[in-house]
Amino acid sequence: MPRGVRRAIDDAEAIARAQSGDLDAYAVLVARYTLRAHRAAFLLGAGEESDDVVQEAFVKAFRHLSRFRTGEPFAPWLLRIVANETRNVARSRRRRAALALRLPSAESSGAAAGGPVDEVLAAERRAWLVAAVNALPERERQVLVCRYFLDLSEAEAARVLAWPRGSVKSRTSRALKRLRGRLVPGEQNRVSSG
Amino acid sequence: MADRAGWQGVVESELRAVGRELLVPPAGDLTAAVRRRLDEETASRRRLPAVRAGVLGRRWGWRAALVALVAFLAVLVATPQGRAVISHVFRFAGVELRQEPGPARTSGSTALPGERQMPLDQARHHVSFPILVPAVLGRPGEVVVSDRGRVVSLIYRRTPYGLVRLDEFAGHLDQVYFEKFVHSRNVTKVEVNGAKGLWIKGPQELVYVTRSGAPAIASARLTTGNTLVWGTGLVALRLEGSLGKAAALAIAGSAH
Repeated sequence: MPRGVRRAIDDAEAIARAQSGDLDAYAVLVARYTLRAHRAAFLLGAGEESDDVVQEAFVKAFRHLSRFRTGEPFAPWLLRIVANETRNVARSRRRRAALALRLPSAESSGAAAGGPVDEVLAAERRAWLVAAVNALPERERQVLVCRYFLDLSEAEAARVLAWPRGSVKSRTSRALKRLRGRLVPGEQNRVSSG
Repeated sequence: MADRAGWQGVVESELRAVGRELLVPPAGDLTAAVRRRLDEETASRRRLPAVRAGVLGRRWGWRAALVALVAFLAVLVATPQGRAVISHVFRFAGVELRQEPGPARTSGSTALPGERQMPLDQARHHVSFPILVPAVLGRPGEVVVSDRGRVVSLIYRRTPYGLVRLDEFAGHLDQVYFEKFVHSRNVTKVEVNGAKGLWIKGPQELVYVTRSGAPAIASARLTTGNTLVWGTGLVALRLEGSLGKAAALAIAGSAH
């Protein structure tokens, strides 16, 4: 990159430099992906150990950087390491209740019981949906977290979870069916028309 | 089919909306911490030739470490951490030294499995090896037998060096009792009563390894002060406390 060009280095360049041992270039990647990695770790179940998991993942990612294929997107590659570290932490802990996904409490979200009826209903529905996701089998929960809470494509989710793409597809569809199965009868039409 | 796509689309978009609202605690700024870890790693890699030539001695230096790594690879792979990269592993007197980050520590108090406090004489009946007591320190304040007699710990609360802890376990070299996570530059070879020992400077992460070879995560902790590890053939010992090398060697030399 020519001197004086005030452009942040892009991922490909940062990765290439980091691969040759440039820790400053790697720091750019760490700063750029910390939030995403942290969100992934937390939502996949690392709980209060999310920061530790992410730190560990970044250190490991640097060690494995030689295996990174030029041109591939960095986020799924990194998140796969994050997901793996999260599994390690979760396995040694087994306090699943503590890992439940949560919404802000009704009071703080502004949808207080005294608010407009629509808002109250919408808040209730969201709370119900989160509870239903929490109740899913672990792998189905994970795939929903990847696809809808981390906004990953099917292929990216497959990479992050280290599953075949077919499993991502089938587990997603099974999870969605399960969620629908818990819908109150009649609710479905009302919602899809509104 | 249209209906199926319809409900699916609704659930999907609701999930996306919920995802935007989920509580996620703020992330810490990890740039500095990651940088520090990587700096340390690169620095120790550069220092490796010096280590090979000197600190641990040529004969049981890194060649021995490599042999140990190969011999116990199964154990390493079987650890819950699934550690992919292990830069250096060194085993000595029931202690395996690894140069890498330790396991995530549990918060709160840490303990070895099945700790039982008892008088020294009673403890002697619970372990399969002779318990050595350092004459310099005298009778321990507390004696704790752990993991059904696999480890005995002598605890001295009031010494000129503050809290001193001496863990003893059967001196078979084929078992690992503790894993320590250290920097090779903090490890030096010493001699205790003519036998080999290791002096490890500074706090390290320590985890107890059970009979099955799995680290007991609840035991993971940061050690205090410095550590001396040595063995007598029958017993392996680990002395931990805020002692200097000379004091530690004097204590170790007086253990019988």
